[in-house]
Amino acid sequence: MAELTTLARPYAKAAFAEAVEQNALVQWSDMLSIATEFAADDTLAQVLVHPSLTAEQQATALTDLCGDKLNQSGKNFLMILGENKRLTLLPQIVEAFEDLKAAQEHAIDVTVISAFELTDAQQETLSLALKNKLQCDVRLTGEVDHSLVGGAIIRAGDLVIDGSVRGKLAKLAEAMDT
Amino acid sequence: MQQLNPSEISEIIKKRIDNLDVTSQAQNEGTVVSVFDGIVRIHGLADVMYGEMIEFEGGKYGLALNLERDSVGAVILGDYKTIAEGQTAKCTGRILEVPVGEALLGRVVDALGTPIDGKGPLNAEKTAPVERVAPGVISRQGVDQPLETGYKSVDSMVPVGRGQRELIIGDRQTGKSSMAIDAIINQKGTGVKCVYVAIGQKQSSIANVVRKLEEHGAMEHTIIVAAGASDPASMLYLSPYSGCAMGEYFLDKGEDALIVYDDLTKQAWAYRQISLLLKRPPGREAYPGDVFYLHSRLLERACRVNPIYVERESGVKGQTGSLTALPIIETQGGDVSAFVPTNVISITDGQIFLETSLFNAGVRPAMNAGISVSRVGGAAQTKIIKKLGGGIRLALAQYRELAAFAQFASDLDDATRAQLEFGQRVTELMKQKQYAPMSTAEMGLSIFAANEGFLDDVEVSKIGDFEAALLSYANSEFAELMAKINVKGDYSKDIAAGLKELVEKFKATQAW
Repeated sequence: MAELTTLARPYAKAAFAEAVEQNALVQWSDMLSIATEFAADDTLAQVLVHPSLTAEQQATALTDLCGDKLNQSGKNFLMILGENKRLTLLPQIVEAFEDLKAAQEHAIDVTVISAFELTDAQQETLSLALKNKLQCDVRLTGEVDHSLVGGAIIRAGDLVIDGSVRGKLAKLAEAMDT
Repeated sequence: MQQLNPSEISEIIKKRIDNLDVTSQAQNEGTVVSVFDGIVRIHGLADVMYGEMIEFEGGKYGLALNLERDSVGAVILGDYKTIAEGQTAKCTGRILEVPVGEALLGRVVDALGTPIDGKGPLNAEKTAPVERVAPGVISRQGVDQPLETGYKSVDSMVPVGRGQRELIIGDRQTGKSSMAIDAIINQKGTGVKCVYVAIGQKQSSIANVVRKLEEHGAMEHTIIVAAGASDPASMLYLSPYSGCAMGEYFLDKGEDALIVYDDLTKQAWAYRQISLLLKRPPGREAYPGDVFYLHSRLLERACRVNPIYVERESGVKGQTGSLTALPIIETQGGDVSAFVPTNVISITDGQIFLETSLFNAGVRPAMNAGISVSRVGGAAQTKIIKKLGGGIRLALAQYRELAAFAQFASDLDDATRAQLEFGQRVTELMKQKQYAPMSTAEMGLSIFAANEGFLDDVEVSKIGDFEAALLSYANSEFAELMAKINVKGDYSKDIAAGLKELVEKFKATQAW
């Protein structure tokens, strides 16, 4: 996984630079995610790694499926990936691309896993607090996990703030153990 | 019925709950990508620091050693069977710490400071980080107090001072560990606290060392840090640093401590294993590039510090502190020019070479006096040993040269023959049994007898008996003189006269 990220980074950076130049960040983001969704399909995944197919055939299979969702540069991008046998890296490329996009837009994706559904007011308060702490725009997604018992876990990239009752109980258990 | 643990008393539980900090803090988290041979690769953990402890699920800890662009390489401390791909790993923001203090004396602990001797919990009040930067030049003081090993040959020819690093090097089965253990036994009653770090040894050998130290009443001032042969490489790599942290506690308090690393070759092997598994490029003998730093940063921490440093660290006034290190290196086939031996030789302040040929010839300790040196110990020698021991080194050096030469000569002049015979006697006199460390006065007396020619009419094969009888006679009949020498270690005309009288009386009245 770590190595795949390393391999995917130059492609993502190139795609991002191109997107910025064309002023088409959203379009590129859409193109890449569509291509990734297709590539995730079992049958197509087999095609993409099939040894008897040429790189061009594999790339064409993907671009044809995407049809008019891809513009010329998007198609070219997939062709290059095909040539270098990196079509399977698409999920990592999308991830890295989205990271770059978020950094450019000064925004961060935050997942809040709470024991109970958050009210709009709570979400509002949380985003505001997080915005202050992280110094960037917060895009909040909520998830519900009843096993937390109470409280919530906030996840922003590598940063995790565990304010759940389950986490506190685990801490207590550990303290009693040692 | 289930048994109740001592830690389950309500009061203790209450205290623990009171002290518990459950405020949620922002933490860095990552995902375990792979686990193999005690090494984990973690994706994420963008803010992890080098050498930071990483917490895994199930209360396991690791040490971040490789910080790469997209992943973190870490070694797991202890068993890694419960760690699996996909688990989360958290930053702790802490450097690894071990318990330190007087509570550890007499105990056997592992590299993390957990007791493994079945004598219950440690009750240590303090902890100290395992890695620490050695005191700088401003904090240091010269080495001028002796650390007596109790071996005539060592204390007279390669003296060790408090705060010195003296390497013990030799092939397997040459008595390296025995020498170090005798040095620990000899610290009994001197106030010097000892730490014995067993790295990669058989559990049976470690148990043996503990038993021997207990038998000789030396466990009360000794901490044993054991990382056995079956422990993971990470523990072998860490144990010298843990032991050093435990020794530094006494240094900081203005006391004297002695630490034995037995042996650093195995630590270097463990570090090589970890480094190769972390895919660091191998260098000479497949060791990583920083194997010199591995040992230099460890041995630099053994030093003598001045009262200002001690006062700053612990508030104790007017005391100097010292940590003397006796690292051990095992050579293969006497090859001291291998990578790790040359490194450690260059780091330390001298070395004691033990040789298989000498050992097999019955010269025990099997020290080669010609190539063993102590670069700073001379300043720390007691006066009497310094005064009397100088002749021993010279006599042995001349003897070795002549002995090789005399093999070809059939007819020798009297002067040469006398020198050869004296050399033989001194060689014989330098032999000493294990677990029989000698006091300064005893050493002084033996060497005095040799220097003054009292051994010339004693048969070479009888030297050992002569010495034993002389010492027991001195200890019973001249106890006052012996005690006087032991107190200050001075050498004056009075003492010389006293010693002369002692030996003359002994030779006149006693049999051996």
